[in-house]
Amino acid sequence: MNTTQHCLIVDESLMVRRVAARIIRDFGYEVEDTKSGQDALDMARIRLPDVILLDWQIGPMGAVDLITAIRGEPGGENVRVIFCTAQRSLETIRAALSAGADEYIMKPFDSDIIESKFRLAGLSVGRQVETDAA
Amino acid sequence: MRGALSLKPSYYEALKRLTLELAGVRVGSDHAFLVETRLASLAREDGFASLDAMIEELFSTGQTRLAVRVVSALVERDTHFNRDPASLDILENYAMEALAEVRGGGRVDILSYGCGSGQDVYSIAMRAAARRAGGELENIHVNITGIDYPSQALERARSGRYTHFEVQRGLSAKDLVTWFEPIGEDEWIIDPDIRRMVDFQEMHLLSGFEDLSAYHAVVFRGGLSHYSAPAQVRVLRGLAKLIRPYGYLQLGTGEQIGDMHFGLDPVPGAPGLYRKREAIVAPPEPTGKQPTERRTFGPRKGEAHRAQNG
Repeated sequence: MNTTQHCLIVDESLMVRRVAARIIRDFGYEVEDTKSGQDALDMARIRLPDVILLDWQIGPMGAVDLITAIRGEPGGENVRVIFCTAQRSLETIRAALSAGADEYIMKPFDSDIIESKFRLAGLSVGRQVETDAA
Repeated sequence: MRGALSLKPSYYEALKRLTLELAGVRVGSDHAFLVETRLASLAREDGFASLDAMIEELFSTGQTRLAVRVVSALVERDTHFNRDPASLDILENYAMEALAEVRGGGRVDILSYGCGSGQDVYSIAMRAAARRAGGELENIHVNITGIDYPSQALERARSGRYTHFEVQRGLSAKDLVTWFEPIGEDEWIIDPDIRRMVDFQEMHLLSGFEDLSAYHAVVFRGGLSHYSAPAQVRVLRGLAKLIRPYGYLQLGTGEQIGDMHFGLDPVPGAPGLYRKREAIVAPPEPTGKQPTERRTFGPRKGEAHRAQNG
C-alpha cells in the first residue's frame, strides 16, 4: 500500500516551485509540480493529492475554478488546499478561505511557515519512517 | 563584519556565569552564534563601537542596567503563535471553563510568565475572545498580563505589531483575518478588542514576585528546563504563591513540577495543568521534641500544646 503523502504544487514561477518542492520533500512528501491549472487538474485526476499548494495566477483556469473542479472529484473533499501567493490583502485571504482554502501562505515564505501551515491544515510533517515489518 | 563573531572565549564564559547568576538560566555551549548576533544588535542599538566594547564596559563597570539588558537579550527565546497548542487547549477547555463555572462570572486574571514578544499572551486572548464571540464563556472577562525582563521583545509585545513572517507561524489564516489588520507592506497589528484584554509589565523574573498581585491562572509553558535546578524551585515557589486558591498553573504538556508540590496538585487527564490547593497548611515549628500522634496542627491547639509541654 502506498502511504506516502502526495503534494501538488501549482505556480507559474519555476523558482517558487523548486523552493517549495524541496521544503515539502523534506517533510516526507512526494511532490509533483506544474505551472498550469489545467495540467494540475489532469494530474489530480490520475492521482488525487493529499495537499495542493497553489497561486492565484495559474492560467488558463483560475485558482478558484481549480479548487471547485478538484473538490468535485471523488474524494476531492479531503484534499487540503493551501494558497501560496504574493497577494496579501485581507480581501484576497478572505476570498481564498470562502473558496474553500484550508490555509493561506503569503510570499515570501520559508520552511518554518510552510511547516506551520501544513500543521494548521491538519497535515503530517516529518519524514515517514518505513516500518515494513510484514 | 569583523567583530560579529569574535567574542573572546573568556567573555563568553563570563556571560554564561552572569546569565546563570542573574536569571537562573543556563545558556547552552552551542549558542555562541545566537549570543553574538543578539548582543551585537544590542551593542549597535546602545551606541557601542563594537560588541567587545559593550562587554568590556559591562565587566569593568558592573552596571546593573546594562547587565539586565544583556542578560534579557540572552534569555529571550524565539516564540510563535499557538506554541504547544495541546496545552493551550487544556488551558481553554479545562481551566478557563472551570474558572468560569466556579467563579460564576467576573474577571479572570491570567499571568503569562516570561512572555517574550507576546505571542502567548495574544494566543490566549484570541481563544477567549473567540469563545465569547461564539456565545460561550460570556460571563467572564479574561485579562492576561505578560511579564518579562525589559527588552525589545517586550516592547514589540506592547505594540501588538508582528511581521509578515511572525503572523504566519502558528497563526491560522482564519485567525489572521479575524484578529489582525495589515499596516504597511510587512506588518500586521492585532485588533484593539484583543489589546484591551492584555497588558505587559517589566519584571526581573527571579526576584520580582512580591510586586505582582494574585492570579486565577499562571501560564509558564516550555521555559522550565532552561532554568538551573535551584532556579526552577525558586520560580515555581514564586509562581505558586501568586495563584489564588483553586486557581491553576499551566506548564507545557511535557513539563512537570517535580518532587516538591508547592501547594499544587496535578489535574488528572490534563498534562501540565496543576490546581492550587485551598490553603497551604504550614508545617509545625520544629521543637526538638518527639513527634506525637497528632494529625492536625491548628495554630491555637499547637500553641496550647507547646505551652503545656514547655
